[in-house]
Amino acid sequence: MLGFGKQKQVTEYDADGECERVYHEIKQSLRVTGINLNFRTWAGYEKFFPAMWDAMRPLAETRAFETAADSVRAEAVRAADKLPRLENQARAALGESQAYQLRAALDLYHYINPKLLVFTSAVKLALDGAQPERGGKASADVELVERGVPARMYPMEMVSSEPEEERIKELFEDIKQTLSLSSINSDYRTLALWPDYLGAGWEKLKPIVQGDEYKRTSDNLRETARKLAHTLPFPVPLSRERVEELGEDAGEIAKTTEKFERLLPSLIINIALFSLDWKTPETLVQSPFPATPRRMAVQGGAR
Amino acid sequence: MNWREFQSMQRVAELGDRFISYLDEGTGEPVILLHGIPAWGYLWHALTPALAKQNRVLAPDLLGFGYSDKSDCFDRSIARQAEMIDAWMDKIGIKRAHIVAHDIGGGVALRLATLFPHRVMRLCVMNTVCYDSWPIEAMLQFGHPETRRKLSAASAITMLKGALKQGFAKSPDDELLDSLLAPYTTEVGKLSLIRNAAALNTNLTTEITALLPKIEAPTLILWGEDDLFQLVKYGERLARDVPGAQLVRVKEARHFLMLDQPDEVAEHVSAFLKGEQVETAHAG
Repeated sequence: MLGFGKQKQVTEYDADGECERVYHEIKQSLRVTGINLNFRTWAGYEKFFPAMWDAMRPLAETRAFETAADSVRAEAVRAADKLPRLENQARAALGESQAYQLRAALDLYHYINPKLLVFTSAVKLALDGAQPERGGKASADVELVERGVPARMYPMEMVSSEPEEERIKELFEDIKQTLSLSSINSDYRTLALWPDYLGAGWEKLKPIVQGDEYKRTSDNLRETARKLAHTLPFPVPLSRERVEELGEDAGEIAKTTEKFERLLPSLIINIALFSLDWKTPETLVQSPFPATPRRMAVQGGAR
Repeated sequence: MNWREFQSMQRVAELGDRFISYLDEGTGEPVILLHGIPAWGYLWHALTPALAKQNRVLAPDLLGFGYSDKSDCFDRSIARQAEMIDAWMDKIGIKRAHIVAHDIGGGVALRLATLFPHRVMRLCVMNTVCYDSWPIEAMLQFGHPETRRKLSAASAITMLKGALKQGFAKSPDDELLDSLLAPYTTEVGKLSLIRNAAALNTNLTTEITALLPKIEAPTLILWGEDDLFQLVKYGERLARDVPGAQLVRVKEARHFLMLDQPDEVAEHVSAFLKGEQVETAHAG
């Protein structure tokens, strides 16, 4: 089981102090409206979390990072296109506004999940003592992308992880059991805003995720993310030794990180499968929120 | 109609980077129904069937409310909401409409009637905010930025349900309260409602006080006369300031008069929109 059970998550509502500062920066730097499960879980290691973020942030704001995530997304779409389609009939029962918002929610996760995977792979590399092959570039030579949440990005709205509605509760239990999760991901919690749609979609998705082809696809995507993390332009000043110095359990954090690296490819593929019901593969291989280059201060300003 | 059925009937319109959801039912002269805080378009579910027999009924969720855009990055004041309604009417090809509005939706309606008079055919406001009748204490507290940290979404819903009960003459059932608050049960929904409460601003009605006597649209003021949130004295003042306005007091009704006395309210509004005299023993 991909258990993060021992570790208490920190929700956005619960965040304060350094954690609140980092959550704000994550949203600005990764250009996203909410905080996903991996960050909420890492945040439970309160010394590690800000140190990890401060080490990773320069990388997360580079064009190279954005492009790596774009590559992962495109590969996931091409792979998902070869898997059976969900053809979620519940789509037809959604009203116009519901469908509009669902598509916006899918775009949100289609955008952020590949970034989370590359990010997680880079953290894992650092904890394993490896560094990007091209790391060490002078910051002046590296293009940065704009910060801030894209204007039309859907808010990361989610039902409770412990929902009162019986059918959603049962759905979450089935997803967790099938995918060997101890916590339900943000993606499913958001899709549960439209419970009929998620229920019908999951019914189609469930046999697919249990197949060998799906597993191969997921493994390939993880490998791609690892390779891409190797090509990022900066070294990550983070190591197990540094984590131990902070008084945190480096082994446990490394395991948690590895579990997320294992989990994220399937989430990316699942969102691609849901999205293929609404958009063509040609559209989906493009980033839903392309990042423009960051405008630089003329003299001596922060980058 | 339950709230999920209502939600599934909502259409959507993009307005720049924002979007709003709205009900669009029936045919005939358009009537726009504007809800207040902390409700959404579902507030009008009991009134909609009667009105849809004679009018095209359009019930938007105001920006930041219900299933309209709830991003934490825009102004939700009644001034902005009136501008949004103006832009939305263009978007869906409506030049003029009757406006029926409640609570802060009434504040939006008064701004439309004074600042966008070409948009308003007939105006009906119910227990509306006006002058310095608002914000009420509970909403002022709710709108404080620290509320986000002090109250979880679940606690906020519990608190709001308690407060909402004061708005009914007869104790409402839990299902109705849950339906009115359904869009705000998530942390995003809670935060959006806090921001909506933070946007409540007396100045946006006091600044149009001098314009009220210039309203030309025929005006009906309905008031649940036992309302504890918006006192009937404000309805009386409004009836004196708006030329030709008729005040109708609805008995055994508080703030949510359209839910306390749905048949009577539907009857009054239907007659008014048809241009008929609103007959009532309680006319003020």
